[in-house]
Amino acid sequence: MSNQVTLSINNQSITVPAGSTIMEAAQKLGVSVPHFCWHPGLSIAGVCRFCMVKVEGMPKLQIACNTPATEGMKVDTVSSDVKDAHKWALEFHLINHPLDCPICDQAGECELQNYYMKVGKYQSQMEDEKVLKPKALDVGDTLVLDTERCILCSRCVRFEDEVTKTSTLGIFNRGDQATIGTYQDRKIKHNYSYNLADICPVGAFTAKDFRFKCRVWFLKETKTVCPGCSTGCNVNLFQNSNQREYYRLKPRHNADVNGHWMCDTGRTMYEHLNASARLPAPLLNGETVSSQAALQAVTDTLKSVSADKVAVVLTAQFTNEDYKATLSTLKTLLKGTPKVFVWRDESEKAEDFDGILFRGDRNPNTRGMMDVFKEQGVSPVMLKGDFSALASAAAELTLIFGPEVEAGYPNLGKALSRFVEVKKAVYFGNTLNESAKKMWLRMPVKVFAEKSGTFVNFNGVAQKLKANPPVFTAVKGVDEYFADLSKMSQATL
Amino acid sequence: MAYVNVSRDPERNLKNGYLATSLVGMGTTLVTFAKQVFGLEESNTVQWPEVEYQYSERFKGAHFLTKRPDGRVRCTACFLCATNCPAQCITIVAGESPDKGVEKYPVRFEIDILRCVFCGYCEEACPVDAIRMGPEYSMAGLAERKWVYTKDYLLERDAVKRKVGEKQISKKDENTKHDTVDSTLPNIHAHGPGHGH
Repeated sequence: MSNQVTLSINNQSITVPAGSTIMEAAQKLGVSVPHFCWHPGLSIAGVCRFCMVKVEGMPKLQIACNTPATEGMKVDTVSSDVKDAHKWALEFHLINHPLDCPICDQAGECELQNYYMKVGKYQSQMEDEKVLKPKALDVGDTLVLDTERCILCSRCVRFEDEVTKTSTLGIFNRGDQATIGTYQDRKIKHNYSYNLADICPVGAFTAKDFRFKCRVWFLKETKTVCPGCSTGCNVNLFQNSNQREYYRLKPRHNADVNGHWMCDTGRTMYEHLNASARLPAPLLNGETVSSQAALQAVTDTLKSVSADKVAVVLTAQFTNEDYKATLSTLKTLLKGTPKVFVWRDESEKAEDFDGILFRGDRNPNTRGMMDVFKEQGVSPVMLKGDFSALASAAAELTLIFGPEVEAGYPNLGKALSRFVEVKKAVYFGNTLNESAKKMWLRMPVKVFAEKSGTFVNFNGVAQKLKANPPVFTAVKGVDEYFADLSKMSQATL
Repeated sequence: MAYVNVSRDPERNLKNGYLATSLVGMGTTLVTFAKQVFGLEESNTVQWPEVEYQYSERFKGAHFLTKRPDGRVRCTACFLCATNCPAQCITIVAGESPDKGVEKYPVRFEIDILRCVFCGYCEEACPVDAIRMGPEYSMAGLAERKWVYTKDYLLERDAVKRKVGEKQISKKDENTKHDTVDSTLPNIHAHGPGHGH
């Protein structure tokens, strides 16, 4: 028991590992202690002096984030002197804050704003003019820095030092002239820069990608999984549901997968979800048809060919449920196993890893797909730059399941122009790529944000996706198409 | 009991019969008519549309957008009016202004006037005095007219110029900004050239 301590917070008792801070104990208990500089993914700085709590036996209030919990400690977070301390700490933070909330993108999810509404003094007692600092600075390709809004919590400095180890940022000058900034001739350029905008408790760092596009209070979040690479980071996907428009992704904490962060590549995973980037309806020989008619055409072809004349080309960007539905339906309808190919981009270096989160395998479900193959008794042939195996299969019908995230397939156009050469190519995917135009049939499919399936990450962790209402209501998922297909063929038998 | 009965007993008039009551009413009308014809009493009606009725300055009519002293739109595209609007009739598309002192401005600002309920909440919500409801009350038009007021219409229409005039320029102070902020806005730098205090 010596490595556990029991303390009480607001008369509720909690046991935490020895060495934990009061803040960690409070978080575990679900007691919220206001804070700016403390972040569970970073080291403790103790600079904002906002997380004041009263500890019995100590003459002054203590900061919860840097005070270790001890056996029998009695902590109070709600008494009037604690509230008074919060009020005054906030007043000091606001002395030089410009309060330009109307044009600040953080408004609505700003911790300073939230605490001001909760514990603010409302009437400032400052008489002096605010200290002015540089605004709207360009600090990299992804971020804009407003040093006036900064409350010097140093979260961003610690992130650069500890997580990405790039050390681009520092706090310069002293006293009320202290500003956050990049070192001379250095810009923030790494694949984790948007995390700085996330961890910034105020609007000092704002993301260029999201800046001025939408107010955060119009957005609704969905808890899902990033499809950008095989790490499978847990994310919140933000959609303006009135416009049916997706705006951004933010990381969601999962200690087993991604911790607190996600990469900038993953942040672009909302772009292909919006209507303008997607195929709205099936195209049969370049003509728009209903999905009923398109599936009928597939059914008719399926009936006239034998199993060894059907090829299936899969990419590892679909859910386990999609693969299962596809393979089992085809096996039933064809009374045999079709030829299965796995399409990987020729430039792919699947074993690459940047040391933090981002992996070279740009498919979210490689592992899950392999599991389904094993379960279904299928041995696939790899297509990577060399498509001769597909050509020599001489299939009468080729079902291609194209990648949803095309960023991971830089040679997509080249591959598509090869697929056009095969007889009766059916392409399941939303690509608007010119090379896909000559396909016999193109079927639009649901994207990851609209499906409720399973992705298995590189480490074998199976994670569920959560479905939003689809952008195009008539577009279905692969599993739904194949369920329809099996129904239709049974009806016509 | 300390109350006054202000309604007349309906039974009392009916005792005299409908005809007698109607004649009393007609008498009142004729007396008022005669008084107004001979100029003994002022008329309460105006000869619209030849004569335009002047509402008070606080009348909440068709919206207009105010300007900065240099003629640019005052709105900073904060979306508070659009958020507050119970009819959801305001559409804003924000953009980055080349002027760093302005930073954010509306690329599009549209009000679907057919959906608007003239509640005035937009005016109330605006933190920078950018949208106001003007004195204009005559908004009728034919079906082919464009009923979505665009940014240009809200900013530059003749009726507003005529009725509001110079008052369309908002006198609200700008925030003072650091000298490094690259801007052509007048008087936003505390010690800038041509600035007194």
